[in-house]
Amino acid sequence: MTPQIVTLTVNSRTHQVALGAHITLLRALRDLGYTDVKNGCEKGDCGACAVLLDGKAVNSCLVLAWQADGAQINTNAGLGTQENPHPLQVAFADHGAVQCGYCTSGAIIAAHALLEANPAPTETEIRQALSGNLCRCTGYGQITEAVQAAAAVMQKVKGG
Amino acid sequence: MDKPKLNIVGQETRRKDGVARVTGQEKYTPDISLPRMLHGRILSSPYAHARIRSIDARPAEEMGAVVLTWDDIPHVRYNERIITVPSVLHKDHYVLADKVRRMGEAVAAVAAETEALAEKAARAIRVEYEVLPVLLDPSEAIKDGAEPIYDTAMWGTNEIPISGNIACTRNVEEGDVDQAFAQADVIVEGRFNTQKIYHAQMETKSCVCRPEPDGGLTVWPTTQSIHNVRILLGQIFDIPLSKIHVKKVPVGGTFGSSIQMNPPIPICAALALKARRPVRLTLTREEDVHDHTRYAGEIHLKLAARRDGTLLGAEMELVGDIGAHNIQAYSYLGVSIGWLVSLYRLPNVRYHGTAVYTNKAISCAMQGFGNPQVTFAAESLIDELAEKLGMDPLELRLKNYVGLGDTFWGQGPTVRSVVLSDGVPQLLHRGAEIIGWEHRPKPGSQTGRYRRGIGLGRGFHTSSAGAPQPGDVIDFSGAMVKVNTDGSVDVVTALMDHGGGTLEAIAKLVAEELCVPLELVNLAPAETGSTMYDCVTHATRGVYAGGGAAVKAARQVRQELKETAARFLNVMPEALDLRLDKQSGQGVVYVPSIPDRRMTIQEIATRCWTESWKTIAAAVSFRPTNCPPAYVNVFVEIEVDTWTGAVRTVMAAMGSDCGTVVNPVMAAGQLEGGLNKGAGYALFETNEWNADGQVAGGGYWIDAKTAAIGETPRLADFITHFADTWEPTGPHGAKGIGEAATNPVAAAYANAIYNAIGVRFYELPITPEKILRALAAENASDPH
Repeated sequence: MTPQIVTLTVNSRTHQVALGAHITLLRALRDLGYTDVKNGCEKGDCGACAVLLDGKAVNSCLVLAWQADGAQINTNAGLGTQENPHPLQVAFADHGAVQCGYCTSGAIIAAHALLEANPAPTETEIRQALSGNLCRCTGYGQITEAVQAAAAVMQKVKGG
Repeated sequence: MDKPKLNIVGQETRRKDGVARVTGQEKYTPDISLPRMLHGRILSSPYAHARIRSIDARPAEEMGAVVLTWDDIPHVRYNERIITVPSVLHKDHYVLADKVRRMGEAVAAVAAETEALAEKAARAIRVEYEVLPVLLDPSEAIKDGAEPIYDTAMWGTNEIPISGNIACTRNVEEGDVDQAFAQADVIVEGRFNTQKIYHAQMETKSCVCRPEPDGGLTVWPTTQSIHNVRILLGQIFDIPLSKIHVKKVPVGGTFGSSIQMNPPIPICAALALKARRPVRLTLTREEDVHDHTRYAGEIHLKLAARRDGTLLGAEMELVGDIGAHNIQAYSYLGVSIGWLVSLYRLPNVRYHGTAVYTNKAISCAMQGFGNPQVTFAAESLIDELAEKLGMDPLELRLKNYVGLGDTFWGQGPTVRSVVLSDGVPQLLHRGAEIIGWEHRPKPGSQTGRYRRGIGLGRGFHTSSAGAPQPGDVIDFSGAMVKVNTDGSVDVVTALMDHGGGTLEAIAKLVAEELCVPLELVNLAPAETGSTMYDCVTHATRGVYAGGGAAVKAARQVRQELKETAARFLNVMPEALDLRLDKQSGQGVVYVPSIPDRRMTIQEIATRCWTESWKTIAAAVSFRPTNCPPAYVNVFVEIEVDTWTGAVRTVMAAMGSDCGTVVNPVMAAGQLEGGLNKGAGYALFETNEWNADGQVAGGGYWIDAKTAAIGETPRLADFITHFADTWEPTGPHGAKGIGEAATNPVAAAYANAIYNAIGVRFYELPITPEKILRALAAENASDPH
């Protein structure tokens, strides 16, 4: 299989990489150093590898890298920094929504996609949006609370 | 006991590693890349039971891969888990399989320049197998003439024959059981079956290993114990421990799956040693699913009681399915009877435990180490007994539970201590109030499609395996606490945090002891060479025993701060005290009666530095001499849909007695995690094997049925509460929580289902299919 040059724009940085057609976006991103994108199962079962692909949350293990050629890809690490974390990231840290942290990046991506589309979701809508993200440590109550808290903060910021 | 006022412990704080984790900056083993690192891959057996006739590695080597086969590894038999003392430790495992005993066992491994090439090379290796009959059921495996899975194993330093596929047995007898049963007014008994389930930790088992020029190794493993990994690698590869550096790396959950040194670690080390280059080896999810599970088994339990509800004695027989290797079967058999006699006062008890090999994934500890299984049986039978006696099940529990002043077996027959803190009555009464216990229906009284029921499960877990005397479980911790010149404090510990906030708790406990603001106390990166031995984070011991070590070290530092300040201030050390000075944001050492005689901790440490005197520090080992029970009870209200058999959680109330609650948000999270994992165990999680020994569905995670958000209660339907207790032997009054949160949950669901539909289930998981079958059988036998 001859590798092809694929252009991946990740967190506003553009990479041109030579990739075989069978390489998944998950593997390509991790090889580029975006290790916040976790490999939980490589089968689309767990959601740990979720990224935003042109604003839509996808499991990057189910997308081939070439399918993301030219697209805007955002990973959780691109949403905020240690010094300036995203409101969702702050809320996850403050509501006990992070324990081992392995599912966290994927869960934040799913929540981010939800809040972009629906800034004031109900609990049922949050549960639907996060239904593809497994967390084995604690469960989902504190994650739900964190999403609610972040939604409130983001609404306030938007409302001025 | 009067509880001292605490300043930092118990405060809600953002965990120190929180921002790193939420921003994706935390680095786990699979995220580590080293220069010139090769990618490892194992070649898994496609058969569950087979002899390996020949291995042809040339096709893989021709692709440029480094290949590891039986001829490349040290032929040292070991046990992956070395918490049991060596004299009673079984050893039946090699770095690569001598013979295949479960599907997915590693028969060879490769390391190559890319992941893709490693995968291709592994597939190119040609192995000739002689396929043997597959044994999946312990009752088949022990039959005469069954294919032997092992001929021998090591027991201590002796090679012992294995016959009838029985790995080991363990018997316990205390008191006069026959007399107890002869005197009983009521006897209840049942046969309870529990299933193997997958840990389903988010991070698959992984290892990075770099060979060092001095012949040593640096290792970044997925583990719950860096020191035990080091000891085992030293034994297997015959390398002095001082040349093996095992680094502490955050883990993506474990739930017991990495108490032992898992197969990828020594395989990765062997690959790195052969390749003379760093290697990373990460299991795929399917490989991981085939690797380990919770212990499954059949428990035959009999309880004898007087008419007034006093328990007189018990008989228990356990046949455990340990899968393809013996990791800790002897210990598992011991703890299982321990859990029973620590749940309820049973002065007369007879126990026979048998551990049986099968060709399935290896059984190992998973949250509770036998406790959820035994508690499911015991708490189900206690409800049956209450019904026979016409007693309130809650009152029957209060009458018989092991509480204040009673002897408690923390980890089998050799680990005994006395209960010194007990929040059980508080927890039971509060939980009953939340769930509306008084208003629960009569069992089987409902008709109609949806039937609701309320159930109670009461349980506990040990906090550590500490005891006054050494037993057959190794249990001690270590810690170093060091004051820096700016007054900040380093805590250096090998203790692992699986995500529950154990290290956050350690920081709080040290800050409390030294009267230093929490932001100035930090956990240093740690590895085996720079830390005291810590056995392993298991047995709900992290906060209690790991914290006990940290507080012991901090207490010595506190004393040294006083003695040092006494010299500088020209006062007697006994006249000095410590407090947190909010104004300066520093701990101060001061004389209460002379306000101007004071120094901040920063001033003391700085002066020790500029006057070329010393570092104020202490390094200690800490052996807990108690193993206090961390009590948890759970009340659940469920609704059974009698058309579909589905069970929905309407409401759950979970109460914990963990002594001082160190991290309130994290502790509540532990309870929620316990409920979710317990409910999964009760209702739907299972690993099933087909006749060939293949995990159903090929080992995809989705078949393990880990609960997603839709299977868990909504926010308003889950309530947690904590007992107001103080554990006198614990660090600032704390004991454990983690495993206790899972242990009683399955029993609570079984009892609630009985309450709703009048059918008692003796086998987990209680799936919709089983409920429908039971309801159909009831209807067939009931003329209405």
